[in-house]
Amino acid sequence: MAGDRFSRLHTTLARGSHHDNRPDKGIPLPVGVKMLLALTLSCLAFLARTETFLGMVTAANLLVFVLLRPQGVSWWRQGRLFVFQTTVIVVLYILRFGSLAGVRDGLLISWQLFLAFWPTMVFAKTTSQAKIVRAMNRIMPSRMSFVMATCLKFAPHLLEEVRDIYEGQVLRGARILPKDLARPWNWPDLVHCVVVPAVVQGMALAGNIALAARVRDFGLHSRRTCWPGD
Amino acid sequence: MDVLLQLKNFSYTYSETKAAVLQGINLEIEAGRCYCLTGPTGSGKTTLALAMKGLLEKDGCSGEVVGPDPSDHGDFRVGLVLQNPETQLLATSVGAEVAFGLENLCVEPGRMLARVEAALSLVDLRKPLDYPVARLSMGQKYRLLIAALLVMEPQLLILDEPAAQLDPEGLAAVHDILSDLKGRGVAVVLCEHHPGPFLDLVDRFWQLDGSGRLSAGRWRASLMPSDSTVSKTAGGYSVAPVLLGVRDLAFTGHGDVPVWEEVCFDIRRGQRVVVTGLNGTGKTTLLRVLAGFLKPSRGRVRIFDAEPDPRLLRRRLGCLFQNPQKQIFENTVREELAFPLKRLGWSSREIPSRIEDTLRLCGIEHLVDDSPHKLSYGQKHLVAIASVLAPAPEMLFLDDPFAGLDGARQQDVMEILASWNREREMTLVWTSHDPGEIPSLADGHLHIEGGCIGWR
Repeated sequence: MAGDRFSRLHTTLARGSHHDNRPDKGIPLPVGVKMLLALTLSCLAFLARTETFLGMVTAANLLVFVLLRPQGVSWWRQGRLFVFQTTVIVVLYILRFGSLAGVRDGLLISWQLFLAFWPTMVFAKTTSQAKIVRAMNRIMPSRMSFVMATCLKFAPHLLEEVRDIYEGQVLRGARILPKDLARPWNWPDLVHCVVVPAVVQGMALAGNIALAARVRDFGLHSRRTCWPGD
Repeated sequence: MDVLLQLKNFSYTYSETKAAVLQGINLEIEAGRCYCLTGPTGSGKTTLALAMKGLLEKDGCSGEVVGPDPSDHGDFRVGLVLQNPETQLLATSVGAEVAFGLENLCVEPGRMLARVEAALSLVDLRKPLDYPVARLSMGQKYRLLIAALLVMEPQLLILDEPAAQLDPEGLAAVHDILSDLKGRGVAVVLCEHHPGPFLDLVDRFWQLDGSGRLSAGRWRASLMPSDSTVSKTAGGYSVAPVLLGVRDLAFTGHGDVPVWEEVCFDIRRGQRVVVTGLNGTGKTTLLRVLAGFLKPSRGRVRIFDAEPDPRLLRRRLGCLFQNPQKQIFENTVREELAFPLKRLGWSSREIPSRIEDTLRLCGIEHLVDDSPHKLSYGQKHLVAIASVLAPAPEMLFLDDPFAGLDGARQQDVMEILASWNREREMTLVWTSHDPGEIPSLADGHLHIEGGCIGWR
């Protein structure tokens, strides 16, 4: 079928874009411990300078993954992002060093970046929003913890908005399909008719969320109590 | 009756505009009564609701907003449900969502559970407290929002355009909740273009006239397009070629549950087909599958004698998704319409006249040099439609194009679509969340129910 690749990508986006509160199946670590673990693993990924070190960080991530058993991980999406990121980095390294010698370094950097963000994804998939807010309330002002938790919650919603804008603009003739974007002279279209409206939508969304919070008296007191459930 | 809230000679001007949105408003709200605030799109209904809740910037306000005597009513609380439930649900689980207001009021965690359960019981939402909000239907989300406000024990509840989001089933549930609340002495204000489902609850109508003035009475849009207007549209489809053919189509959603399956239909050139279904039945998904943005799990779609491919369809198919204003990005209306024409290969000689013709047919030629970002909601809607119509697509998909528009704006949009259908044989397929109100514009009606799609 023509456009299959494009359709598959969007099917995956549509299915994966809703936050799924499936029950935890892994060992029930306290949120603070999970948060610290995620932060440590991410920092270690940035600090890794040798293949051995990176291999050890990878092993540690695998262990944490097995222990926490996050539900609803989209391997297709993660794999696709990794392949895309690796391709861009390796191409840039080859251009920089002018030979295939850049491939190894490019792969290492890409893997390092992937490992820097992976622990956060595992943490987000295994911890409910209420628990995150409760844990963050202990170390930062309640307003800030609310903003961080809300950003996590609304990221998929914003992604859906961007998808709607993207699809509407494709049929208005914008040259932003994956094949179009292989030609760099079409990139301004992506910025002009998708990124700009998406930023406007993002700001509008932020305004709407802030209003919705104020409607329910958010900000009335400097501190908030916390829902004990979840 | 106890007076809960009074507005005395209240006016409001947004800092970025010079004209007052609300002018010299005088009103009184009594306990246990239901009021309906009517008026055209952009007349200031939401602004007035925000004024009652006390959420407007103080700088733009003049006049008085007077609450009840605290010795009689304790803390006076106003609950406000804004238009889009999706952007108001701030937590991921039902319990946490309802408890959000209690957290803000610094209620002790130990006291939250009983209040949350009582509020959920008031709206008859029987779900576990850790149930994911994302899995609720739109109607359930709306009831959850009401519960999230009721838990804060408001004396006044304001709902901003519930009919724009809810299907008849959802509206019936909200009707029952409001009826119960009235009986408990809670005052209710509905800001609504289409108060039909709540008519028996309403004790008093107000209308905003578009200049910011409030008066008693119900605002009504001029009549819908007459049948004579629509009867002049293209006809004789039974012999017209099939542009869109669907056979044994199925789409599987979250958790491998089929959204709909075994779907078969043909749409011919010049037809005007409305696709109806309750919230969450897969209307938008159907349009996205037909346009080639989603791959069906089974079956076949043929559109313009080929399988759907956005790359090939972009010269022949126009598509307007929900809230079309979000596709607007240029600095003037002229540039907004020029964009698709340039990209779809129109010559620079043809483009100016094409823009002029399209704007004239849409009745917005006077806006040609205006910034689309500064237009009213209804005008933005028309600009977005004009920019999709400008390249003269053979077929147009519209996702709930009338949602949030008042009767007059709906009529504008319908007349534009009818004239393009009549003069250019443009095939129209649009969705609607209200199966009970089929515009006379439609000559075909597909309905989605229980995972099946069929002609009615």
